[in-house]
Amino acid sequence: MDFELTEDQETIRKSVAGLLRDFDDQYWMEKDQAHEFPTEFYETVAGGGWLGITIPEEYGGHGLGITEASLLLEEVARSGGGMNAASAIHLSIFGMHPVVVHGSEELKRRTLPRIATGDLHVCFGVTEPGAGLDTASITTYARRDGDHYVVNGRKVWISKAMESEKILLLTRTSKADEVTKRTDGMTLFLTDIDRDRIDIRPIPKMGRNAVTSNELFIDDLRIPVEDRVGEEGQGFRYLLDGLNPERMLIAAEALGIGRASLDKAVQYGKERIVFGRPIGMNQAIQFPLADSLARLDAAELVLRKATWLYDNGRPCGREANTAKYLCADAGFTAADRAVQTHGGMGYSEEYAVARYFREARLMRIAPISQEMILNYLGSHTLGLPRSY
Amino acid sequence: MDREEFVLVRDMVRSLATRHGVTSADEVKPSTRAAAQQALDELDLAELRRTSPPAATAQECALLAEEHGRRPLTTSLLGTVLLAPELLRLLGASTSPAIPTIAFTRELRFPGRTPTDLVAWDSEGADSALCVTTDGTVSRVELGPSAPSTDLVRTVRAVPSDAPVEVVGQLAADDQLRWQAYALVVVTAELVGAAGSFVEQAVQYARDRRQYGQAIGSFQAVQHLLADATVLVEACTSVTRYAAWCLDNEPPERALAAARVAKAEVNSSALEAVYAGMQVFGGIAQTWEHIAHLYLRKVRLGSTLLATTAELLPALAVPEVTR
Repeated sequence: MDFELTEDQETIRKSVAGLLRDFDDQYWMEKDQAHEFPTEFYETVAGGGWLGITIPEEYGGHGLGITEASLLLEEVARSGGGMNAASAIHLSIFGMHPVVVHGSEELKRRTLPRIATGDLHVCFGVTEPGAGLDTASITTYARRDGDHYVVNGRKVWISKAMESEKILLLTRTSKADEVTKRTDGMTLFLTDIDRDRIDIRPIPKMGRNAVTSNELFIDDLRIPVEDRVGEEGQGFRYLLDGLNPERMLIAAEALGIGRASLDKAVQYGKERIVFGRPIGMNQAIQFPLADSLARLDAAELVLRKATWLYDNGRPCGREANTAKYLCADAGFTAADRAVQTHGGMGYSEEYAVARYFREARLMRIAPISQEMILNYLGSHTLGLPRSY
Repeated sequence: MDREEFVLVRDMVRSLATRHGVTSADEVKPSTRAAAQQALDELDLAELRRTSPPAATAQECALLAEEHGRRPLTTSLLGTVLLAPELLRLLGASTSPAIPTIAFTRELRFPGRTPTDLVAWDSEGADSALCVTTDGTVSRVELGPSAPSTDLVRTVRAVPSDAPVEVVGQLAADDQLRWQAYALVVVTAELVGAAGSFVEQAVQYARDRRQYGQAIGSFQAVQHLLADATVLVEACTSVTRYAAWCLDNEPPERALAAARVAKAEVNSSALEAVYAGMQVFGGIAQTWEHIAHLYLRKVRLGSTLLATTAELLPALAVPEVTR
């Protein structure tokens, strides 16, 4: 066993932390309150060449693994940027995986280098009002019309759609009752967001307000055949490849917020004096923080194992799911305790932890709820009967 | 019962507990069991719930069960004093010298459609057991040899499968609901008493036990653990007393719902409270001699008695009128 990061991985950590030092809590608080995309941050990360970290070198990226991508996103979240920062770049980091693996050479040449430079913003359009985690129930329909498809439907919780030029869009090209397997008959596109055909409405929400979450109303959107990713009807299968890495990256982001929260709590515990001594001297303050440290460390180890397995081509469903489950819980608990440690000040926006708390809560729901993770572990890993 | 009368009865149970409560598992012997049960029989409390209208309210019976749970006692207050006489009262059965207790299934559930696969629960001093099947039929069954029990102070006896079954009567539908609610409340109240008493003992230990030159109760980690446990016990107490009040004042469906809520809450919270107490006692609580495991056994087994929380929650999730 080797618990050391490689020299390159250490370099990623330090470089990213150094690069983001100027984006302080004030910056993120202002962006969050103004509901404004963190363009300066995005351009800095893009300028540092980080957006193409997993994109193959022939398309302008670095061709690195999920371990490196998870380190990058963990550092980004830990910098204090939290989910505002991570979500601004999340899709660029690994979201294009289905295109890399299944897209045509022309589609890859046309899009991937622009992702790597940061010039092309993309979003991911899967979930619908009637289909959250039950992806096979989507109804957005793409009808073939010559060398185009004509798409109608609705999508919901589409992060960054307002800011994006293109969307990775999952549709049905055969209705659910026309296929033998419910997961058949879905087709994936990487296409332009034609704002004459797609009405985008941001959803007012609890946190992560620098990056929008949107509802999309798609009305006769025409998509050229060249924008189709791989074969018709295989879209769901293409997405499956990316589910485990996605869980690991979200886990890394949750871990980063947890670390940032714990740092703030520890610092406050040392500085704040009540009854003539630092509040961190009270076991009621110290123990929950020590407990969070242990939980974050344990969650991190599972995450490292999961990314190692994936990068070494081994099965990693159990570990990826466990990592997401533990990191989301450890991150949220740390944020909650950071708020508690700060007392009344924890509720004020001035002390960042309230923002971390709102964002860390999200990780227990997205991109998959903790309960669905337990469903996976219960039925796939333990072999118990499927409960849903 | 007026207040003075009840205080008198409660003090009698308290005094019984002081004299006959065991302080270590090794004290649980046939001779000590018999002596304790004889002392209980001499109090002649079975009449409290045998007459119509009953001399004691359900609330008073629940308080007596709570008191009984506060110390590890081998006596069958629940089975022979509070539960079986209530069944006979609901049936309007004539008095007899028999001392029945209650029969549950081997899994310690209310029996199903037929009086089979039974054990006589809380059977110290009992000469037979009463069983209520789902159609409301009440039968008397004979007792077999002692059966092993995780709860070391509770006597449980087998019911021979070939023993004769004597039908005693039939409960009306409402009375069957009342009976189930009452049984749930009584067993729950005993668990509340056990958890509450154990936490109080842990608090006393935290005051007395010194480490690093100070009482361990001065450490916040210990103090808060016990404060949390006290909150849990308080929740258990309130929910159970409300369920007992419902038995005296509400229609049977409402009383049964309240009893189920109480059992569901106590199943988890009383156990949590005992776990907290054991943590405070530290290593000493892991020894055979210490009293802690007697409480743990009672509450752990009690949390599965009649209904687990997992079984109760689905029943509570459906609208009350259709439960």
